[in-house]
Amino acid sequence: MNTIKIPLPSSRPALGAGPFGAMIQKEMADHLRSWRFLLLLGLLVLTCLGSMYAALSSFSSLPPSELAKMEFFFLKLFSISDGSLPSYAIFIGFLGPLLGIALGFDAINSEHNNGTLSRLLSQPIYRDYVLHAKFLAALAISAILLFSLTIVVSGWGLLALGIPPGADEVLRILMFTLLTIAYISLWINLAILFSIVFRQTSASALGSLSVWLFFSVFFNMLIDVVAKHLAPKQFLSEAQAVAFQNFVLNLLRFNPIHLFNEATNIVLMPSVRSTGALTMEQISGTLPGALPVGQSLLMIGPQLTGLFASTIVLFALGYFLFMRREVRSR
Amino acid sequence: MKVTNLTSCLKKTLLFGFLMFTSMVTQAKGLSLYTPNTRISAPPGASIDYTIDIINESSVVRNENLSVTGLPSTWTYTLQSGSYHIDRIAVLPGEKKSLKLKVEVPFQVNKGIQTFYVNAINTTSLPLSINVTERGAAESELSTTQNNMQGDNSATLTYKATLRNRTAEQQHYSLRGDVPRGWNLTFKADFKAVTSVELEPNSTKELTIELKPSATTAPGVYTIPVKALTGATAAALDLEAVVTGSYAGQLTTPDGRVSTSARAGREKELDLVLRNTGTSTLHNLELRSNLPSNWELRFEPEQQDSLQAGETAHVKAYLKPHKNAIPGDYVTSLELRNPEINTKVSYRVTIKTPALWGWLGVLLILGALGGLVLMFRKYGRR
Repeated sequence: MNTIKIPLPSSRPALGAGPFGAMIQKEMADHLRSWRFLLLLGLLVLTCLGSMYAALSSFSSLPPSELAKMEFFFLKLFSISDGSLPSYAIFIGFLGPLLGIALGFDAINSEHNNGTLSRLLSQPIYRDYVLHAKFLAALAISAILLFSLTIVVSGWGLLALGIPPGADEVLRILMFTLLTIAYISLWINLAILFSIVFRQTSASALGSLSVWLFFSVFFNMLIDVVAKHLAPKQFLSEAQAVAFQNFVLNLLRFNPIHLFNEATNIVLMPSVRSTGALTMEQISGTLPGALPVGQSLLMIGPQLTGLFASTIVLFALGYFLFMRREVRSR
Repeated sequence: MKVTNLTSCLKKTLLFGFLMFTSMVTQAKGLSLYTPNTRISAPPGASIDYTIDIINESSVVRNENLSVTGLPSTWTYTLQSGSYHIDRIAVLPGEKKSLKLKVEVPFQVNKGIQTFYVNAINTTSLPLSINVTERGAAESELSTTQNNMQGDNSATLTYKATLRNRTAEQQHYSLRGDVPRGWNLTFKADFKAVTSVELEPNSTKELTIELKPSATTAPGVYTIPVKALTGATAAALDLEAVVTGSYAGQLTTPDGRVSTSARAGREKELDLVLRNTGTSTLHNLELRSNLPSNWELRFEPEQQDSLQAGETAHVKAYLKPHKNAIPGDYVTSLELRNPEINTKVSYRVTIKTPALWGWLGVLLILGALGGLVLMFRKYGRR
């Protein structure tokens, strides 16, 4: 009897080779050729140009004596603004979620609606390859985009300022970029989750956008209202005031956008020494100065943990739902 | 008129007394000698000018030999009429002539009255006397009114001295002093630092002598001989410098670094060095600290009973930052004090937060990833 050997995928295919790699490449190609991606790219490039203009004009408005005293000059490119436009960090913090949602909101349901999902799954591949490939492709695209933008900003800054960044600054810029990519991956996962939950792409897009809007606008308002109600009416001691302030901050930290903003501030501003409110006791005897990278990283440990953990949870939820779903051809 | 102090020329007393009684104008045979200042006080080395009138009261021309007698051989004189040196002068009847007599008092002379005579030989004699006000010496003199000065080893002791040239020649003095090693001695003349001065005969120069003890000079009384020397003469003066002890201390670390890093809430050992940089022994040294609130610092030992000059002592300090200290730089101030000294050092402490929470975060993420892998296993449909 002749046996026909059917090539089965090895249990652990190398990335970029075999069917899994092909799927990632295909997904990336799909993204890169889509109008949606081009629009987002244009938006991000405009952002980059605008914030660079704002940063450089704020540099030129400062007297040279102030500039000479400035520490972490290069790092300020990312966080400073003359007020006409938000800084690069704020822009990216705002547009990052949008990019993530745009890259993920139709990941599964569009395949489903086009009837390609069942065809895809009839191929000799594991089912989770589909989800992994969708996520990794979106992650790769956003990573490439953000690294390019960072390099463009740095290069332009180098050209305009003529001051090379120090090793500390390079590390911080790298940390900032990685942090942003991690943040975007959170939103990619949220969008993919919605694309699994909702059959309609418009529904998943609206769902993701409303979550984003809720966290960027309404969540803080809500916490404000809650804090006002909870605030002690009587005279407060300093310790009580600080404790209450930190309590409100902790409520705010359920917001991933707030977590990202805190982490960005610490990474881009080495002189920031605390994320929370401080008592006078803690401030007494302090000298202004920059923190080493390691200490800044330790300080945003909780924020990073929160961001990473929620990303993983969202992915796991999407995975769970996707794997349990019955996929039928139409 | 009573005549006193005539010890050196006792034998002339009688004659002098007689002459004084007669008149200030010596008159004999119609010829008189006259000068107003018959006794002049002068120091050794002085030069005295007399104007002596010789008056002819007779009716004939007088041509007289002149002489000066009674001066010791060390004294010199010149007798002049107009611009000529003379020893004989003629005077018309009823007229007078003026003579100039210059007497030089020698440097080496005893104190007292020296009397001498201007004589018109065989006719008359004018006694003159010079009161030598002090004992002279043919040498140089270096003197001060205040030769004792007090100061600590960082002070500059300033003495005022007078250098006097009592010789007949111009002298070029070289100024020297014998100081202990490390001391600094400066002579100043007319506000300029000098090592030699030139003095005309019988002139003086004010010198300022500045003495700077070395930083390590032990307290005590030091005698500093100072000399003005020439080939011919020398003058010496002993200056007395009373050096008092100084109190100075230093608080530092063995390597001079005054910064460290510490973990919040964890005790950190610091090495401190106390150094006595003064010249006296320091007693009962205490260490104090000024810290951010809720920080703790204890010294071991708390107190240093005594520290000899130039010695150092090692002290351990145990610093415990508050457990809620935020990362970054803090300034602490350490103070070394006793009644004599008070010295402070700012110690910079860089607080590092424990990495514990960071690792906990990493662990949480790893746990979540582990859960994800378990999920892949369970629902992976492989």
